Amino acid sequence: MADALALGGVTRRFGDRTALDAVTFEVRPGRLTGFVGANGAGKTTAMRIIMGVLAADAGSVELGGRPLDLATRRRFGYMPEERGLYPKMKIADQLVYLGRIRGLDARTAAARAVALLESLELADRANEQLTTLSLGNQQRVQVAAALIHDPVLLILDEPFSGLDPLAVDRMAAQLRERAEDGVPVLFSSHQLDLVERLCDDVVIIGDGRVLAAGSADRLRLERAGRRFRVVVGGAEPAAVASAAAAVPGVRAAAVDGGGPDGNGIVVDLDAGADDQALLAAAQGIGPVREFRPVLPTLAEIFREAVR
Amino acid sequence: MTTTTQATRPVISDLRAGQMIRVIAGREISVKLHDKAFIGSTIFLLVVIVIVTALPILLGSRTPQLSVAVVGAGAEQVVARAAELGAEAQDEDAAAASTPFGLGGLPGADITPRDAGSRADAVALLAETAVDAAVIGDSPADLVVVGKDSVSDDLTTLLAAASAQQQVSAAADDAGLSAAQVQALLTPTRPQTELLEAGPTGPIPPQLLVFVFAFLFYMSVLTFGMSIAQSVVEEKQSRVVELLVAAVPVRWLLAGKVLGNTALAVGQIVLLIGVGLAGASLAGQGEMITQVLGASGWFVLFFLLGFVMLACLWAVAGSLASRVEELQSTTVVMQVFVMIPFFAAIFATDPGPVQTFLSYFPLTAPLLMPQRVVLGNADAWEPALAAVIVAATAIVFVLLGSRLYRGSVLHTSAKLKVGQAWRARR
Repeated sequence: MADALALGGVTRRFGDRTALDAVTFEVRPGRLTGFVGANGAGKTTAMRIIMGVLAADAGSVELGGRPLDLATRRRFGYMPEERGLYPKMKIADQLVYLGRIRGLDARTAAARAVALLESLELADRANEQLTTLSLGNQQRVQVAAALIHDPVLLILDEPFSGLDPLAVDRMAAQLRERAEDGVPVLFSSHQLDLVERLCDDVVIIGDGRVLAAGSADRLRLERAGRRFRVVVGGAEPAAVASAAAAVPGVRAAAVDGGGPDGNGIVVDLDAGADDQALLAAAQGIGPVREFRPVLPTLAEIFREAVR
Repeated sequence: MTTTTQATRPVISDLRAGQMIRVIAGREISVKLHDKAFIGSTIFLLVVIVIVTALPILLGSRTPQLSVAVVGAGAEQVVARAAELGAEAQDEDAAAASTPFGLGGLPGADITPRDAGSRADAVALLAETAVDAAVIGDSPADLVVVGKDSVSDDLTTLLAAASAQQQVSAAADDAGLSAAQVQALLTPTRPQTELLEAGPTGPIPPQLLVFVFAFLFYMSVLTFGMSIAQSVVEEKQSRVVELLVAAVPVRWLLAGKVLGNTALAVGQIVLLIGVGLAGASLAGQGEMITQVLGASGWFVLFFLLGFVMLACLWAVAGSLASRVEELQSTTVVMQVFVMIPFFAAIFATDPGPVQTFLSYFPLTAPLLMPQRVVLGNADAWEPALAAVIVAATAIVFVLLGSRLYRGSVLHTSAKLKVGQAWRARR
C-alpha cells in the first residue's frame, strides 16, 4: 500500500494576511480526496506548499511519516491552477521533457508519452503545438503531463474547471482509476455535486482554516443527527412547523416541498438538543408518519461550515 | 493491484545535477534551433560574412583589359613599355624588382596595342568603341592620349610611367652614361623602413577587425541574452515553472538555461568566424587567416567569460517580468550593459589611461582587452589578468543572479523590483 500524505499545522502568511492557519489533514492512498473552499480560502496555497512551490512558515508535510524533499516530490504528479505547459512546444516533446525533468530516461519518457497520448486519443496531434488544441484537449495534455512519470501521488488544482460534461466524466474516470491503483489523489474543485459524487474523503477549508476533514460519509453522518424530517398525518405542515419551533433546542423548522409520505417539515436542532422532545411534540399534534434524520448534502455541510 | 502497478512503475533516477542541467540546456538549444527567427538571423549573418570576405577579392582580382590604338613611332614604344609594366604589376614580386624610379603602386592591366594608320583612323576606332583609347605621337616626349568620353586611370598611370622611363633613358643615352648608371637612375634603391614600436600589420586594418568583433559580440550577447530572459518569462507566464521547481532545484534550472544559451552563442560566433575564415582561405587570403586566427583566440575566450558574466543577470531580467510584454522595461539595464562595451570598443581605440582602465573594468574588458591585443598595445600578461577579473565578476554576478532569480521566478502575478526579488522567498 502506498503511503498517506499528511499536513500537520501548516501555516503560511503573505505579509499581514494569514493564508493558511495551522492546516491539518490527510490524503489517504487509494482514495479520492476533494478539497473544497471558497475563492481565496487557501486551497491553491496549500497545494503549492505540498509541491514545494511555496514554503510553509510553520508545520509539516509528510509522506508516510517522512518529511517531503525534492527527491520525493518529483515523483508526485501536479496540475497547477493556471496550468503549465509550453505554448509553442510540440505536445509529445514537452511530455518527454517533463518526464525527463522528473528523472525518466529519454527512451522511457518517449514511450510513456506515446502511450499516454494514445490513451487520451491525442496520438494524431502529438507533433502539434499546444496552442493549436482546444481548451479541453489542452487540459488532457495537462493531465498527461501530470501522469508522465506514473506518480506516487496526485495533486490537481481545479482539474475539472472549463471541461464539458463528457470531459468531466472522462477526467473523473481517470482519477478514479489512479486512486484504485493505490495512489492518493487530492483535487480541488468548486463543483460540490461533483465532489460529492466522486470523493471518498473531503477537506473543507475557509479563511485558511480546515473547517471539516475526513471521510465524506462520516461527515454526513456526524451532521445527520441535527436535522430531522417530520410528517404528521392529518395536520397542516405549517401548524406542525410552528409547534416544532416551540420545542427547546430547535434552531429552525420549515415546511419542505413534500415527499413520498406527504407534506412535511425539516427541523434543525442545536447540538445536544433532545430529538425525543421533538418527537413527543409531533405526536401531540397527530399520528407521526415519518420521523427520520436527514443526511445533509456536501453542499449543505459546506454552506454550514463556511457560514 | 497495487503491487503490480508498483512493479511496472518506471524508474525515476536520483537527482543528479549534471544530468538534469543537460536535459534543461538541451531543451533550450532544441527550441532555439527550431526557431525560424533565429535560423533566419544566423543565415543573414552568414551571408553578410561571405559577402564581406568575398567582396574585396571579387573587386581586387579584376585586371582591366585595355585595347589601345597606336599612331606613330613614339606612341608605339611607350605603349609597348606600358604593356610590359602593366603585366609586371600583376605579378607582385617582379613588380617590386622593376618598379620605375622605386615608386611602387603601378596598376596591373592587360594592354593590347593596335596599329592605326592615322589619327583619323584612330578616332574612327574610338567612335565604334573598338579600342579604349588612342595614343598619338612620334616621340615619347610628345604624346597625346585620346579617349572617347574618358580615359582609364590605370592606363594614364601606366602610360605616364612608360613615357617617363623612355625619356629618362633617352636623356641618359645622350649624356653618355653607362648601362649600370642608367639602371640606377631608372630603379634606384629604396630606403628601408624600421619601426621602433612595430604594431601588428595585416591585410585587414586592426581597427576594422576590432569593429567586426565588437559588432559580433554585441549582436550575440543581445540575441542570446534576450533569449534567456524570454525563456524565463515564458515559463513564468505559462506557469510551467511550477512544474519545474517541483522537480529540480531552481539553481539547476538557471544553470541549464545559461549553459544552453552560452553553448549556442559561442557556437554561433565560432561558426561565423569559421565561415569567414573558410571564405578567406578559398580566396587565397592566407595572411588574413593568420591575422584573424591570432586575434580571435582572446576574443572568443573573453566572449565566453563576458557572456556567462551577464547571462544570469539576463535570467533575472526575465524573472522580474510577469509577462513577455514587460521584458522591454525589465531588460533596459541589461541592454545598457551590452551597449556600453560596444561603444567603448568603437570609440576608445587610442592607447591611454581611459583605454587601459576600460580594458580591466569587468563590463568593458571582454571587448577592450582583446582590442588592445589586436592593436598591439597590451603586454602579454595583461589579457590573462583581465580574464581573471572578468571571471571573478562572473562568479559574483552568477551568485547574485541566482538569488534574485530564485526570489522572483515563482512570483507570477506582477512585475517585481530588484529589492523585492532580493527579499522574497518561496
